[in-house]
Amino acid sequence: MSPLDPTTLLLLLAWGTVVALDLVSVPQAMYARPVVAGTVAGLIAGDVTAGLQLGVLLELFALDVLPVGAARYPDHGPATVAAVAAAAGAPWPERLGTAVLLAMLLAVLGGWSLQRLRYLNAAALHGRAAALAAGSEPGIRALQWGGLGRDAVRGLLLTALGLAGALLLRAFPPVAPRLQALLAAAAIGCALAAVAGGAARSAGRGPRLYWLVAGLAAGVMIALRLG
Amino acid sequence: MTAPGRVRAFLRLFAIQGDWNYERMLGVGMGYAAEPLLDELRTRDPVRHTAAVVRSAEFFNCNPNLAGLALGALARAERDGVPGEQVSRLRTALCGPLGAIGDRLFWTGVVPALSALAIAAVVLGAGAWAIAGFLLAYNTLRVGTAWWSLRTGLREGLQVGGAVGRSWLPRAAERVGPMAGFAVGLAIPLAGRWLMQGLAPTVMALVLFLAVGGVALSRWGGTHYSAVRYALVVLILLAAGGMVML
Repeated sequence: MSPLDPTTLLLLLAWGTVVALDLVSVPQAMYARPVVAGTVAGLIAGDVTAGLQLGVLLELFALDVLPVGAARYPDHGPATVAAVAAAAGAPWPERLGTAVLLAMLLAVLGGWSLQRLRYLNAAALHGRAAALAAGSEPGIRALQWGGLGRDAVRGLLLTALGLAGALLLRAFPPVAPRLQALLAAAAIGCALAAVAGGAARSAGRGPRLYWLVAGLAAGVMIALRLG
Repeated sequence: MTAPGRVRAFLRLFAIQGDWNYERMLGVGMGYAAEPLLDELRTRDPVRHTAAVVRSAEFFNCNPNLAGLALGALARAERDGVPGEQVSRLRTALCGPLGAIGDRLFWTGVVPALSALAIAAVVLGAGAWAIAGFLLAYNTLRVGTAWWSLRTGLREGLQVGGAVGRSWLPRAAERVGPMAGFAVGLAIPLAGRWLMQGLAPTVMALVLFLAVGGVALSRWGGTHYSAVRYALVVLILLAAGGMVML
């Protein structure tokens, strides 16, 4: 497994920041979805297959999440970028378990940081309360750009931390192949649990449930045909 | 309202959550996006303009993809000289419906449906093209919806609620749910098969055990359960136990 060069790390850092901004602030174009963030990170790291595989696996976790309003939810985007950086270049499923563990820790930290950001934005709002009450357009602009800037810094720090973790995992991988296999199995099992649990919850008892069951049946048939 | 002003407001819609906070939620983002639409009032009625700017950044919350409806309707109401209290009431009244329809349409409908289809396409061999297709499909729909929303809001003003009720939105929100259910159902076995390639049968049994256990916990585990917490606990326990035993 070749080391990640500084240019690749810088590009991953920039991509992770873009992805973190995309989740809520701008432009919400779905770059933050793990399947997108992971594939592009794989392209940057020179291992598209690892990017797609980790992207798909972490997308199963993201499908369990409803990113609505004031809810607290994990930030899977920068976490996926870090996971791909940790696993790129290694044969599948080696490093999968540890990469997903890193991603889960980072996703939780990302969710927490998003909540802190919202409090910081509120504090900035208090600081400009008089300008807002006076109908100051520069005041509104300053708040808007301040919020965007704070989220960019959040994304940058989160991705930098994730990449540091990825470099550590690349330098000191778990050596026992049986442990790697166990961790990979755990990561895949938990991802399937996440998507199935979320799908069942969203389906409720209405028509969506019947369509979910029909989709499952179709998926099983195609999977069996693929052998 | 000038065409460049409308375009600037439209572009600013994509950063409507740029200053999301627990006090005004989308309020500041709405104020920022409203600025080009309220420009005309600045010379025509400066007092009204100042009051409109103050109102434009007050509390607001809805699905960001439908914020253009409220933005357009509120700007039109300000331009038409509707009393300030009525503008504020319209603002409050739009939060719930635009949040509910938008969340159903996008967050529980379009996004899971397209994401699951992208997963299925990756598994079936489309590779990175599946991701390009996902981005193209989502953003075409989303940009089109944002443009339609802003235009509808500007055209309808105070009547925007009725216009939304008669539009394609409620029907689409109703229909996309079952489609998302089907797509996610399709993706689960395909993704499972793809991710488990090359694993030994005993390891596959562990995957299935953990998957079934996680689903059971999500159903009966109460509010403390979350998929990420479950994964963290399982992975940390296995890593710690494995390092000691293996």
